[in-house]
Amino acid sequence: MTEPTKDTKEFWRWEEYRRVCSDKSWDHKDVITAGVDVGSVGSKAAIMIDGQIYAWAVTRTGSNSPDSAKKVMNMVLKDTDLTQNDIKYTVGTGYGRVNVPMANKAITEIACHAKGANYIWGPSVRTILDVGGQDIKAIHCDQTGRVTSFLMNDKCAAGTGRGMEVFADLLKIPIEEIGKVSLSLDEEPEPVSCTCVAYAKTEAVGLLRKGWSREKVLAAYTRAMAVRMANLISRVGLEKELVVTGGQSKNMGIVSRIENILGVKTLPSPNWREGELDPMLAGAMGAALLGKALYVKAQGN
Amino acid sequence: MKSQSAEKKYLPDMPQKEVEELNASVKAASERIMADNIERMKKTDPNRPAAMQYFDEVSNFFGMRQKEIQEAKAQGRKVIGYLCVFAPIELILAADAIPVRVNSGWYDTSKLGDRIVPVEVCPVIRSTIGAKMIDLSPYLELSDAVISTLTCDGQTKLSEILSDAKQMWIMTPPRVKDSAQSLHLWKEEIKAIKTQIEKLTGNKITPKKLKEAIETMQKATKAFRRLQDLRKGNPVIMGRDAMLVNQMSMWDDIKRWTKKTEALCDELEKRAEKNEWACPPDTPRVIVTGTPMFWPDNWKLPTLIEEATPQGILVGDELCSSDRVLYDPVGIDEWTMDDMINGIAERYLMASTCPCFTSKDGNEDRVNWLLNKVKDTKAQGVIYYVIRGCMLYAMEYSRVKKALDKVDIPVYYLDTEYTREDVGQMKTRVEAFLEMLSARVDF
Ligand code: SF4
Repeated sequence: MTEPTKDTKEFWRWEEYRRVCSDKSWDHKDVITAGVDVGSVGSKAAIMIDGQIYAWAVTRTGSNSPDSAKKVMNMVLKDTDLTQNDIKYTVGTGYGRVNVPMANKAITEIACHAKGANYIWGPSVRTILDVGGQDIKAIHCDQTGRVTSFLMNDKCAAGTGRGMEVFADLLKIPIEEIGKVSLSLDEEPEPVSCTCVAYAKTEAVGLLRKGWSREKVLAAYTRAMAVRMANLISRVGLEKELVVTGGQSKNMGIVSRIENILGVKTLPSPNWREGELDPMLAGAMGAALLGKALYVKAQGN
Repeated sequence: MKSQSAEKKYLPDMPQKEVEELNASVKAASERIMADNIERMKKTDPNRPAAMQYFDEVSNFFGMRQKEIQEAKAQGRKVIGYLCVFAPIELILAADAIPVRVNSGWYDTSKLGDRIVPVEVCPVIRSTIGAKMIDLSPYLELSDAVISTLTCDGQTKLSEILSDAKQMWIMTPPRVKDSAQSLHLWKEEIKAIKTQIEKLTGNKITPKKLKEAIETMQKATKAFRRLQDLRKGNPVIMGRDAMLVNQMSMWDDIKRWTKKTEALCDELEKRAEKNEWACPPDTPRVIVTGTPMFWPDNWKLPTLIEEATPQGILVGDELCSSDRVLYDPVGIDEWTMDDMINGIAERYLMASTCPCFTSKDGNEDRVNWLLNKVKDTKAQGVIYYVIRGCMLYAMEYSRVKKALDKVDIPVYYLDTEYTREDVGQMKTRVEAFLEMLSARVDF
C-alpha cells in the first residue's frame, strides 16, 4: 500500500455553525449574559437570557485569541436582534480565556464545563469527561454543577480534537465520520502503543504500509485514546452520571469505547443537528451561566 | 598526564571556554529571573513589608552574601555545604564554619545534567550536577566540603558524581525512625561528622561552643516560629515572601537572619493591628507539600498561586526548602556533650518528615505534620507538588490524599518539570483549583 498523498479536500474540517432560538423574545429587564470559550481548536460562544439559552455559535480558533473571540461573538449575535451592548456580563473561558476582549471575567474551562454539563443534562451529572482540542479533563461536580475535584492529562495532544484532525487528514476520512468508521470492524484491534500525536502519525503510516486497513488503524488509535480517557476518569473516581463534553463528545468511536471499558452508559448526548443543546458548547454555556450569577451578585452589592 | 586519583568518574572534561560561556549566560538569565521574581512579589503586595528588602538582597546569589563568604574564607574560615536538611547545622556553627545549602533551583542547568544522567532522574539532582559542570552555584563553589545525606536514590548517586569535584561527606540516615538501633546509628553518624568538621576546620567543638551554637539555632527557630504563627491569621504577609525569608535562613548568617526576621515580625504585627492585609482576608488559603522548591527558578508554583485569578495565598508548606527548615529546635536536658549530641541526633532524625522514612505505620509523621499544619493555618486546600522523577513524594501521594479526604480538605496533585514551558498548563490547573476553593463566587 502506498502512503496517502495530499488531497485538496480538508478531511479534518468540522462544521462551523450557529443557532438562534427564534421563539425566544427578550426585553431590557432581562439579564443577558454571554460565555466565550476560546479553545485551542474551536471557539464557542453562547448567549443566555435569564439563564436560558438563546443563541450559540462555534467556529475554528484562528492564530490569535482576541480575533477568534470577536469572530465567534459576531457570529452568535448575527440573526439575533441583540447587540454587544445588550449583554450585561461576559465570561471568557478556555485556553484563551484571558484574551477575550469583551469579557468581564475569566473563569477556567473546568468550572464552566461542570456548570454547562449541569445545564445540559441536569443535576444528576457527577462526572464529566471534557475532551477538548488539546487536553483531556475529568471533572467531578455536585448537583449544582460546582466542581468538587478534577484531573487533567499531560500536555500531549494525542487523544484530543487535534489528534483526531490529524488522523482524519492522514486517513482521508471526513472528521464527522471518524467515529462511525472506527466502529465498523467486527473485531477490535489492539490499541496502538504510542500516545504522542507526532509519533502516532508515524506509527499509523507504518501500520498502513504493513497492510492494515484505514478502519483498523483508526480503531486501534481510537481505542488507545479511549483507554487513556477511561484511565483519567478512573483516577478521578467514576461517579454516576457520566457525560462527555467538548468537541470529541460527537465522536461515537470514543464515547462507546469509554462506556465499554468502564462498563457504564453515559447520559445520551443531545442531538445538536436537530437544534438541541450541543455538548461541545458546554464550556460556553457554563460561562454564560456563571456570568449571570456574577452579574446578579454584583447588582445585589 | 593526570594522576589516577584526579581522574573523574562522572563529570566530563569540558573546555574552559565552554564552561565560561555557559556560566555567563545562565548567570545572566538567573539574575533576570531573581529580579523578576522580586518585582512580581512587590506587585502582588504593593504594600510589601519594608523589612523584605533585606531578604531580597540576601537572595541574590551573586551579591553581598557571596562576597561576605569569600571574605570570611580569605580569613581562614571554612565553608560547609549541605544538600539536605539532615545536616547538623549546630556542629558546623560550633566549629566556626559557615553552613550553606547547595541544592540547585536553576532550570537551565538541569539540561546540562542530562549529559551525565538520564532525563528520568529527578531534575533537582540533574540541575545540581549541571550547576557544578559550569561552576554556577557560588555556594557550592565556595564549599570546602559538602554534607550529603542519602535520603533517596538521586541523592545517593549525586554524592558520587559531585565527589569528582568536591570533598563529599556522606551521612546515611536510617529509613526507619522508631527503633532503638536507628537512633543509635544516627548518633554515630553525627559523631563521625563532628570529627570530620573538626578536622577540616582545625577547631575543636567544645561543649561551650556547641551550647552557644545550639542556642543560636534555638533563637532562629523562635523567630521562624513567630513568623509562622503570624501566617495563621489574616494574610499579613504573602506566602512567597515568607517562603523567601525561610529559605534565606539556609544561606544567610543565621544570627543576622534571626534579627532581621524578628524585625519583620515586628512590622507585621503593627500591620495586623491596623488591619492592613497583604491580600483580602477571604482569599483562598493554600498549603503546598512535596518536592522542595528552590530559589530562583523553581518559584513557579507559589507565583502561580498568588498571581492567579482568583488569587490564592500560600499560608504554609510542608517543604524541606522552607517551612520545615527551622521548625524544630534541639531540645536539651543537661548541657553535657553527650546530651547535646543526643539532642542534635534526635532533632534531625525524629523531627524530620521526609518521605524517605517508613515504619510499621508508614510515614505517619509526615501525614500528621501536614494535617496539623492544615488545621493551624486554616488552609482550605492542599497542592501536592511533584517534580517528575521524584519518586518518594510521588509514591506517598495516595496515602496523603486519603488522610486529607478524611478531614474534607481537597488536594490537587500537580506534576511538573524543571522548565518554564508548562506554566500555561499549570496555570489552568491552579486556577481551577482555586476557583473550587473560592467561596466568594457563587458558582
Ligand atoms: S526531590 Fe525527591 S528525588 Fe529529588 S532529591 Fe529530593 S527526594 Fe530525591
